[in-house]
Amino acid sequence: MLAFGRLEWLYEPVCLMIPFYRRFANTPVLLLSPAVLIMAFVVVIPIIFSLYTSLTPYRLTRPDSLFTFIGVRNYVRLFGNEDFWSAFGRTIIFLVIALNLEFLLGLGIALLINRLTWGQRTLRTLMMFPMMFSPILVGFQFKYVFNDNIGILNNALQALGVTDQAIPWLVDKNLAMFSILFAEVWMSTSVFAILLLAGLFAIPRDPIEAAKVDGCNPWQVFRHITLPFLMPFAFIAMTIRSLDVARAYDIVDVMTGGGPAGRTELLWTLIARVGYDNARMGQANAMAYVSTILSLLFTYYFYRKLMQARRYMGGAQ
Amino acid sequence: MRRLTIFTLGAAIIALALPAPAKAQDYGSFDGYTLRVKLIGGAQYEPLYAEIEKWESMTGATVDIISRKNHFELDREIKQDIAAGSLNWCVGSNHTSFAPQYGNIYIDLNDAIDKDVLAGFVPLTLEHSTVGGRLVQLPRHSDVSNLFYIKSLYEDADNKKNFRAEYGYDLAPPQTWEEVSDQAKFFADPPDFYGTQYVGKDEAITGRFYEMLVAEGGQLFDENWNPTFNSSAGVRALEWFVDLYNAKAVPAGVANYLWDDTGLGFASGTVALNLDWAGWASFFNDPENSQVAGDIGVIRAPKGSSGKRTGWSGSHSFSVTETCDNKPAAVSFITFLTDHTRQMVEARKGLLPTRTQVWADAKKEFQANNQDLLVQVFDTWQASMAEDAFTPPLIPEWIEVSNVLWPRLQGAVVGEMTAKQALDEAAEGAREVMEDAGYL
Amino acid sequence: MTAPYKRLMKLVHWTVTFLLMVMMSVPGLWVMLSSLRPNREILAKPAVWIPQDPGLTNFISIFGLGDEQVAIPVASYFTNSVIIAVTSTFIALAIGLAGGYAFSRFRFRGKNGLFLTLMLLRAVPGIALSLPVFILWSKLGLIDSTLGVIIVYVALNVPFTIWLMDGFFRQIPMELSGAAQIDGCTRWQAFWRIEFPLARSGIAAAGMFAFLTSWNEYALASQLTRSTSSKTLPVGLMDFTAQFTIDWAGMCAMAVIIIIPALILTFLVQKHLIRGLTFGGVQH
Repeated sequence: MLAFGRLEWLYEPVCLMIPFYRRFANTPVLLLSPAVLIMAFVVVIPIIFSLYTSLTPYRLTRPDSLFTFIGVRNYVRLFGNEDFWSAFGRTIIFLVIALNLEFLLGLGIALLINRLTWGQRTLRTLMMFPMMFSPILVGFQFKYVFNDNIGILNNALQALGVTDQAIPWLVDKNLAMFSILFAEVWMSTSVFAILLLAGLFAIPRDPIEAAKVDGCNPWQVFRHITLPFLMPFAFIAMTIRSLDVARAYDIVDVMTGGGPAGRTELLWTLIARVGYDNARMGQANAMAYVSTILSLLFTYYFYRKLMQARRYMGGAQ
Repeated sequence: MRRLTIFTLGAAIIALALPAPAKAQDYGSFDGYTLRVKLIGGAQYEPLYAEIEKWESMTGATVDIISRKNHFELDREIKQDIAAGSLNWCVGSNHTSFAPQYGNIYIDLNDAIDKDVLAGFVPLTLEHSTVGGRLVQLPRHSDVSNLFYIKSLYEDADNKKNFRAEYGYDLAPPQTWEEVSDQAKFFADPPDFYGTQYVGKDEAITGRFYEMLVAEGGQLFDENWNPTFNSSAGVRALEWFVDLYNAKAVPAGVANYLWDDTGLGFASGTVALNLDWAGWASFFNDPENSQVAGDIGVIRAPKGSSGKRTGWSGSHSFSVTETCDNKPAAVSFITFLTDHTRQMVEARKGLLPTRTQVWADAKKEFQANNQDLLVQVFDTWQASMAEDAFTPPLIPEWIEVSNVLWPRLQGAVVGEMTAKQALDEAAEGAREVMEDAGYL
Repeated sequence: MTAPYKRLMKLVHWTVTFLLMVMMSVPGLWVMLSSLRPNREILAKPAVWIPQDPGLTNFISIFGLGDEQVAIPVASYFTNSVIIAVTSTFIALAIGLAGGYAFSRFRFRGKNGLFLTLMLLRAVPGIALSLPVFILWSKLGLIDSTLGVIIVYVALNVPFTIWLMDGFFRQIPMELSGAAQIDGCTRWQAFWRIEFPLARSGIAAAGMFAFLTSWNEYALASQLTRSTSSKTLPVGLMDFTAQFTIDWAGMCAMAVIIIIPALILTFLVQKHLIRGLTFGGVQH
């Protein structure tokens, strides 16, 4: 995939004035090798190893089982595994809802803050507040907030007279999913907001002024100028988020552990349980492979969208 | 109670007959040696570790605590070490429920520790620490649950009158799980007050279901390791949990509760009856932390319909690795951590000793200090440790079977399926696990 | 538009902004508030909304200075966290600067493929990596060392840093450094004199993201660290959960200790942040 042989300078004339050895004919190789090396070391080698283990009945507590080759049996088993597929479906739904909500809320917040003329800096810092929370901390925080008996949410609702029930936030079929979504959205909306705000700051004034002169109403201006301009930023945020969605594991693990009755089970909690608690690492790595592919598809999808949006805006990639 | 007295007497006689206490104080000399250990961390385990310095000065060795985590994380770490072949440490914290998973990485302490030292331990606890005939761990303190309750509720005249009118018998701390159920429904006033509560996920609910199953006269497996928990006893056991949930006698969030939630819930004064570990007693009785301080009663875990009491039990323990480069030092260290003086340190925090003599001595000390609740706790728990305690099957697959079981138990509790359906489905899954492991 | 209508809109605007901000900050502020109160108050029912007796007891006791025996080695966790987060951020920035420069200034075959591959490698979930990385690290003796964690965090942060830097360098007209080189600067000198200073905002933004990721990471650190010689603050948070208990008050105090450095850093960097993030969204 990598071939630096046909290297072209982007500004030839300059190079011609520099002696050959100064041209650093292999400069991109040099510049990129640390990045390539570290990614190979920390990611590529391990995933090759985990691909291999997914073809064995590897159990953590029986190291010799690593050398029994069973082909794709772990994968075949996955096809009949209902728990796995429902976690798989739930994970996709979770990601789709979370990313869309984060985008919409982030957009709203960015638009509101952008129009402020006073106190904007303070609000900007405040807006980034959740970004400073470790996911594990977010999990504990919301586990406590949503506790049905002593949690502050139920306490507040009861004190305000909204309800006289103890709402089982972390147990009820829909509320449990809502609760972990809320925690995830709370933690990650800031990323969208800050990137979209950066996008808003970068919008050139001219087209907007021109559109206003032409008699466009604010909605039309937003729809046809602001929004298309913001889309690359939105996709950047989506790509960044999809690189990192597995962070939600910490939250779900602390808040519900995937329960009750598997209602909040996502791929990552399932894999961790099978791999470590049950010590069936071979099976777990087969699951992990499927979930890796899912992550890659999400990332690739947004990356493509980003490239399209950029081209649409007339920029080269 | 009688059996226990015999144990106590027996141990006392041994203690008198042999000059054991003096001998037990000699921990050898390991000058300049560094002992690498992995210990369970957390507030209630720490006071014991303050004693380690003394062992260091006695033996000239240094202790390097290379890991200090809660047990679930420690379990993961030990499995990783087995996988990576990096068992380069000597002593690890262990637990009776987890020990069978680790195969033969730990030495048989029967060969390494003097018989008369082992004779000082509660025999049933040593039995629980044995896997496949090998004593792979030296028990540090034990866990079994009994029932805490808010005393004033039972003394209230209105409560007595109304309860009698509604249920036809006198209100008194419950003797059977059926009575617990009645009283829990009677006291419950959601969302402000609940009758009782239970842990609702992970191995915790498996354990609670398991002990209820035993109390109802059932078993997890038959003698050939066929899963049998979907019997009528199993359905009765599970329906006890489901029924209380539907009656809203337990907090609506129980399916997500673990030990901290039940403990803190009882301390918040919003739960009447709470089956829990002895380690909570001091916390419950501390006005800084608890709204029910001074108003706590304890009673032995109630009986199921078979007349048997619940008594799911386990012990925290220490093990010595086979790969250890200085086993005598390691054995000396774990013997030190479980000796009489050290167990007294833990007993003072309300943890249950594993040495017969410590039960008696700790109780004497509590009496002298007028710590009434702790005296009562020790009386109650001593009885249940000696007569009611039983462990889950000591097989490597226990955690895996538990992971098949608990999501289905939750499913029944929150009404996704009937108790029978849930157990049938879980039995099928458990059978698969046992088949894969070569039992069937 | 009429004036009253405008004023109404302004009011609506303020109210909505205010409500959203409250939503975003209240859960976090509640944690900070809880760090000043005893467990009894945190867990009270009905809730005690206003601290009756606020104090620093929780902080004192987690540092082991009080009479409570919950000494958790917060100081060494803090030191580890700082060493790990700062070092890995700097290395990731250096590697990312080099990589971003290569992507933005050179044309070579397989460039797009390589760029995408680096991004996709970042998307591999930690859970799929945790065991193989652990085994590899233990063979190399990197378990329970700050270096072992630093290497992993550098890899976590490099792809995104490259991306940010690539976008940022693209915005700097090539003619600028070209002109400098004609003036006799080497490419190296031109980079440091022209491009680096212009990219400062982008570097600040990338640095902040890298720092926050490293500072807050839990899942991998919990596998690779074991004792006080490498455990970080988020991993140390689990010290407050024993098998049967969670010490909420202590945990909240620790949470505040984790958040404050991140808060200070964000506040310092935030001036550059917005500018730094407008990277390559659109080319002009």
